[in-house]
Amino acid sequence: MKNTLNRRQFLKLASAMTALAAVPRVVGAATTAPRVVVVGGGFGGATLAKYVRMWGGNVQVTLVDANPNHVSCILSNLVVTGALPMSRITLAFDSLKANHGVTVMQGRAVAIDAAGNTLTVSTSSGNKVLPYDHLVLSPGIDFVPAAGNWSPNLTPHAWQAGPQTTLLKNQLAAMSSNDTFVMTVPKAPYRCPPGPYERACVVADYLKRKGRTGAKVIVLDANASITAEPEAFGHAFNVTHAGVIQYVPNATVLSVDSSTRSIVTSAKTVNNAKVLNYIPNQRAGAIAATLPLNSTGFVAVDPLTYGIASYPNIHVIGDSCAVPSSDGKAVPKSGHMANSEAKICADAIIRSFTGEAPDEDIATSSACFSPITNKTSSWLSTNFIYGDIFDASGNVKGKGMHRVDVGEAAADMVDGDSYQDMFIWADSMFADSYI
Amino acid sequence: MDISILTRAVLAGTALLVAAVPTSAAEPGRLLASQCAQCHGTNGAGPGFEEIAGKDLFNDLIDMKYRPIEGIMDRQARGYTDEQLRLIADYLSTLPGNGDD
Repeated sequence: MKNTLNRRQFLKLASAMTALAAVPRVVGAATTAPRVVVVGGGFGGATLAKYVRMWGGNVQVTLVDANPNHVSCILSNLVVTGALPMSRITLAFDSLKANHGVTVMQGRAVAIDAAGNTLTVSTSSGNKVLPYDHLVLSPGIDFVPAAGNWSPNLTPHAWQAGPQTTLLKNQLAAMSSNDTFVMTVPKAPYRCPPGPYERACVVADYLKRKGRTGAKVIVLDANASITAEPEAFGHAFNVTHAGVIQYVPNATVLSVDSSTRSIVTSAKTVNNAKVLNYIPNQRAGAIAATLPLNSTGFVAVDPLTYGIASYPNIHVIGDSCAVPSSDGKAVPKSGHMANSEAKICADAIIRSFTGEAPDEDIATSSACFSPITNKTSSWLSTNFIYGDIFDASGNVKGKGMHRVDVGEAAADMVDGDSYQDMFIWADSMFADSYI
Repeated sequence: MDISILTRAVLAGTALLVAAVPTSAAEPGRLLASQCAQCHGTNGAGPGFEEIAGKDLFNDLIDMKYRPIEGIMDRQARGYTDEQLRLIADYLSTLPGNGDD
């Protein structure tokens, strides 16, 4: 323990000194453009890369992603039901290169040398070492599976879109009448709070439309109640999809056996489900998880810069980060929010190149449209503003992103217009992040 | 709070070292207005819902903020102070857009 502390203190100091030492190199040598390296080509990383190039002038930006393109989780539940093809949610990096001059490297980030300001990337042609002035990590989520014998190749989570989405789609399509689709809702915080409830709805709607009489959707929620849009989804479960969806709260997953598609929870056990869509609990994506993590497994960040405590020129955005917020009013992990945070981070990085303090007059938001059937959708919008944040008793506990609440009433409308708006929103998001 | 203090201490140190360099002069409202782009397109010029570039939308935004909530923009407008809505509207009005509605 003593050694650990000493080492951390040393790293902290070394890193702070390195950050200072790095600045004259950046600004003093006019011929050397500052280097920003971004890990993860999801909505956070893509937006960060694009906006640093768009706003920052002469800055070299390298985007590192393990895949040749990004498959969006947004709209992916409609690929599971066959309503949309995979190509509809597959987003290329080509425009980031052609329109914005971003360098894209395909590979997996494997190590950060915070003292030396380099990132090591494992590529098909060996390891590459990328020097950076600012490193931005947007690696999404990693899973924390329960005990037992878990294999996502047998029981897909489909919570990272791509081959997992196709696997779940195929398993759903193979269901017959009276079969059971079992899914879990991870313990919060997790990626996309409304997402699991949306999935339950579109799967139930699919089974009904396909005439799978008697087929059931069992939702095992690790949380005490529906964590997002409780009125819209409560109505969907109890009325729209009554008799098909069985909702089970307080279902902490104790063990999983993918080979028999069986799951044991604190509230209910299901053996030999036809489909087991086990979505495990989550933590920061792999490379971010090499940094200090908070008690829920994510990286605490400064809300003005998305910088982290020990290494001020390393930033974490999107699902991997934990933004200081008022108690019970957490900043949601979503693609829309990752895009929002990327712009704050990009602006702060650009300001730091010229010695400007980060902007404090900032706001973030996340909007979301969730299909309830194949013709209707709910919408959700949540806004955060920088300033005082509060504990559960209403006392100021510091500065952060405070959620601006306006009451539940309007956020829960389910209608056909929202279903069409969902595609306008998604296409706009895709373009703002990738084109 | 440790986070903020250390980050800002280093950024402040950065500022001292580069004091001779002029500021980057990010235009006021640019960062706030960029939060509209998820639904209205980069620089407010689509693709997305209504084009918002090249128009003075301050009165519309204030109207949305204070009328009963019917649509998502009525909700969104409540997420900003009146002063922030002024900055956003002023910045968007300077952008070219495509001349679309």
